[in-house]
Amino acid sequence: MKEQVVCKTTDIEPGEMMKSDFGKQNVLVCRTLDGEFYAFRNECTHQGAPLDKGMICGATTEESKPGDYHYCRKGEIIRCPWHGREFDIKNEGRMLANPNKKLPGFKLRIEDDDVIVYK
Amino acid sequence: MSKDQIRLVDTDIHERVQYEDILEYLDEPFKHYIKNCHWVQEKHMPYTQPSVAGVDRADTVVPDGRLPGTDLAFMQEQLLDDLDHEYGVLTSALDPSPSSMHGWYEMATALASAYNDWQINNWLEKDDRLYGSVHINAHDRDGAIKEIERVGSHPKMVQVLLPIDDIMWGDPFYHPIFEACEKHNLMIGMHHNEPPVYYGKWPRYFIEWHTLISTAHMKIVTNMIFNGVFDKFPNLGLMMIEGGYTWIPHLMWKMDQQYRDLRHEVPWLKRKPSQIFKDQIRVTTQPAEELTKHEFESLVEQMGSDEILCFSTDYPHWDYDSPTRALPNMDPDLKRKIFADNAKAFYPKLP
Repeated sequence: MKEQVVCKTTDIEPGEMMKSDFGKQNVLVCRTLDGEFYAFRNECTHQGAPLDKGMICGATTEESKPGDYHYCRKGEIIRCPWHGREFDIKNEGRMLANPNKKLPGFKLRIEDDDVIVYK
Repeated sequence: MSKDQIRLVDTDIHERVQYEDILEYLDEPFKHYIKNCHWVQEKHMPYTQPSVAGVDRADTVVPDGRLPGTDLAFMQEQLLDDLDHEYGVLTSALDPSPSSMHGWYEMATALASAYNDWQINNWLEKDDRLYGSVHINAHDRDGAIKEIERVGSHPKMVQVLLPIDDIMWGDPFYHPIFEACEKHNLMIGMHHNEPPVYYGKWPRYFIEWHTLISTAHMKIVTNMIFNGVFDKFPNLGLMMIEGGYTWIPHLMWKMDQQYRDLRHEVPWLKRKPSQIFKDQIRVTTQPAEELTKHEFESLVEQMGSDEILCFSTDYPHWDYDSPTRALPNMDPDLKRKIFADNAKAFYPKLP
């Protein structure tokens, strides 16, 4: 089984993300506000933008009615630095506007203060 | 380089000026109005661009913190060298866009001249790959012609830039500008600034406005064709920049059908509007609608010409198109035309 320490838990504050390497692959490690870690391929499925240059933010909810803004899911959404496409960290990296598309994800576990990505 | 490799001719790159950068090219009192009175160009839209970093790609900020598009070295690293551009056409356009001003035309004319000098000194003469656009204040028609006479013969100026806003450039008042363009082998580049696309007003949401920018492009193409600009100036070409491309067959069909019925009103048109389009109008691809290979090839077939589309990135703006990802795979000959040859054939001053 291939595995690799991609960063330390202390490298990423809740609500932040950073890029790292898993072998030859560029990985985006995200930490949601509840402290959980997630890892995805660091490349937008649309035109290949480096997602680590985007932002982790919240969403304007899909339950919204016309004219109603409700900002929620703070720290759970990756937005692409180019076209702004939104990916749901806690829902397998699925795109908000088209959940059939998702960021390829990596398995991840925490050991002591190591964040380990593995196949 | 293999013979199959295509080096990109990018028809829409936005260099960006800071007002303090052009002060040295401005005369008084205009310098004073910017430096001491804090003048900035008018803006119209009620919203921001709701992307990650406003109008720009979030990863195009210069490493030292300066705004995207302000530094040639970083543009070279991130765009021109990385993608191995053969040529790029600078279009600036958003700020300043002197021909979009609704008054104070003396300032607009001075601003255009200052911008042109800044562009030549800092971009065109510092990178062989970069070609430029002459900025003018078209409302001051005689001043605009004087500016075209002044800088239009620069070997790296390939077009005169006009904004798509609330002005119909086909109006005969502006024809002497086109005459000056023809004289200097300059094409017209048209890039939208902030056209009020909803019946002269603003929609409630940016997404509505951004969706319908192509309608502003369709309006100005229709206006230029039926006002006889291309019959009067047969060597003039028009590059429509940043309106996408899927609207082209619709407008060709609609104009041709109208022409068959109503030609009586515009007897100066000697060719079908679609033929005028094919002969003298080109369209940049970005922001590319996402089509399959089949849809894309079908659309090009519907245009009746594979010489209209010219690839553009729109760097460093957020709706940038990647040359390797934005369009579907296509036949190598068609690809060579869209990514390089069509633009080279269009601009007389591109090598």
